[in-house]
Amino acid sequence: MQWTRKDLLSIYDLSAEEITCILDTAEKFKEVSERRVKKVPALRGMTVVNFFVEPSTRTRVSFELAEQRLSADVVNMQAQASSLLKGETLLDTVKNIEALQVDLVVMRHSAPGAQNFIADHLKCGVVNAGDGAHEHPTQALLDLFTIREKKGSFKGLNVTILGDILHSRVARSNIWGLLKLGANVTLAGPSTLVPREFESIGCRVCHHLDEAIKDADVVNLLRIQHERQTVGFFPSTGEYAAWFGIKGSTMAKMKDDVLIMHPGPINRDVELASEVADGSNSVILEQVTNGLAVRMAVLFLIAGVRK
Amino acid sequence: MESSRQLFSAGDIDAGVKEIAQKIAARFAGKDADFALVGIQQMGVVLAEKIYNEMKNLGYSPDFGKLDITMYRDDFGKRDILPMINETAIPFDVNDKEIILVDDVLSSGRTIRAALDALTDFGRPGFIRLAVLVDRGEPEFPIRADYVGFKVTLPAERKVKVHFIENNGFQPGIYDVKWQ
Repeated sequence: MQWTRKDLLSIYDLSAEEITCILDTAEKFKEVSERRVKKVPALRGMTVVNFFVEPSTRTRVSFELAEQRLSADVVNMQAQASSLLKGETLLDTVKNIEALQVDLVVMRHSAPGAQNFIADHLKCGVVNAGDGAHEHPTQALLDLFTIREKKGSFKGLNVTILGDILHSRVARSNIWGLLKLGANVTLAGPSTLVPREFESIGCRVCHHLDEAIKDADVVNLLRIQHERQTVGFFPSTGEYAAWFGIKGSTMAKMKDDVLIMHPGPINRDVELASEVADGSNSVILEQVTNGLAVRMAVLFLIAGVRK
Repeated sequence: MESSRQLFSAGDIDAGVKEIAQKIAARFAGKDADFALVGIQQMGVVLAEKIYNEMKNLGYSPDFGKLDITMYRDDFGKRDILPMINETAIPFDVNDKEIILVDDVLSSGRTIRAALDALTDFGRPGFIRLAVLVDRGEPEFPIRADYVGFKVTLPAERKVKVHFIENNGFQPGIYDVKWQ
């Protein structure tokens, strides 16, 4: 398999072979982080701009560390400090960044497709770090990496994604990746947040927790976003926790070796009880560790393509 | 295949491997040998395994490592095809260790330059020596091999290819082929 893309914009675009290529490459980068010198010179002399038009802490820190461990020079830009506030268009802003001989732009934006738009106009590589409710490809890749590491393969694996599917780019990227690799995907949560339309792309939609989790090999929980609560997708966080929260007592209804995943940040005791989040089935912190390796792999592959 | 010719046979390879192993053994003879063989991915690892087996027959049991140099290349982002990364495994303490780096062919020396950088990221070896099956004799960097199976002089547009097993219609042996 030969990597040829100059950008990583979505999981939807990728073939199963391309996803596997990234995961295989990430395995090698995971070993680098276990060395005495946790840094390789692959991107020496290259400049990466992290352009976060929408706020981010963990994804930006993970990307920045990945870039540093590849020896790239790193510049961080935030919307508040950019000329977007002065009325400059997004395209002008990124064209100006590119004029500084930048090699890669890692971008988060609240508008779905913003990265596709700039990738069409830039010669340098573009990595999508989240675009609205559309996709968050590196989060899905690190989830896939963690699942593969623990479960071996995806064929016939039952993966339940639980929570606010409607607004979640993490869910969308995960769905495409899991389906391409042969897993069975169940989407679960209140009917207001888990529309039946997802059945048309090959997912099982389930509005009852017990049914959604009983055969699951993996349960990936999404954060319940308090900020959307006012819109009235469900009556209260207390009621959500009662119906869809994973509690210590819920574990007895699941397979013994079920993986509990969460992209963070966790609302403890809303979607996930502390005893489960910190329990032996939880791989939440391993996801964070793997995220670094996966982002190193993505940057390495994208930067390695001759532009 | 008309553009390739066999330079050495499988039997020659076995003899070359034996000779390299004996020379390395001679260096450590009578000493409390604390050394390691480190093969460079991919063909260097195969060669290092063969040397390792010979060393075992001679009564030595060095540590064994595999090194991938893809992340240390000096042509990253300049190649049409990005080589896939293979496993790196250095399961011993590199500090003060005497290390024999192993690759199949010494050509430009750039792979060895990258390997030295990669290896020294694991620690500070006591010394590093280089063993190769084929030395083309005209490196682009000031790098020389210490243990050599065969010396070969060829025009720059020709490539030396080692097949340890039957591969793509090639019988095991060392070949002079056209650069692709």
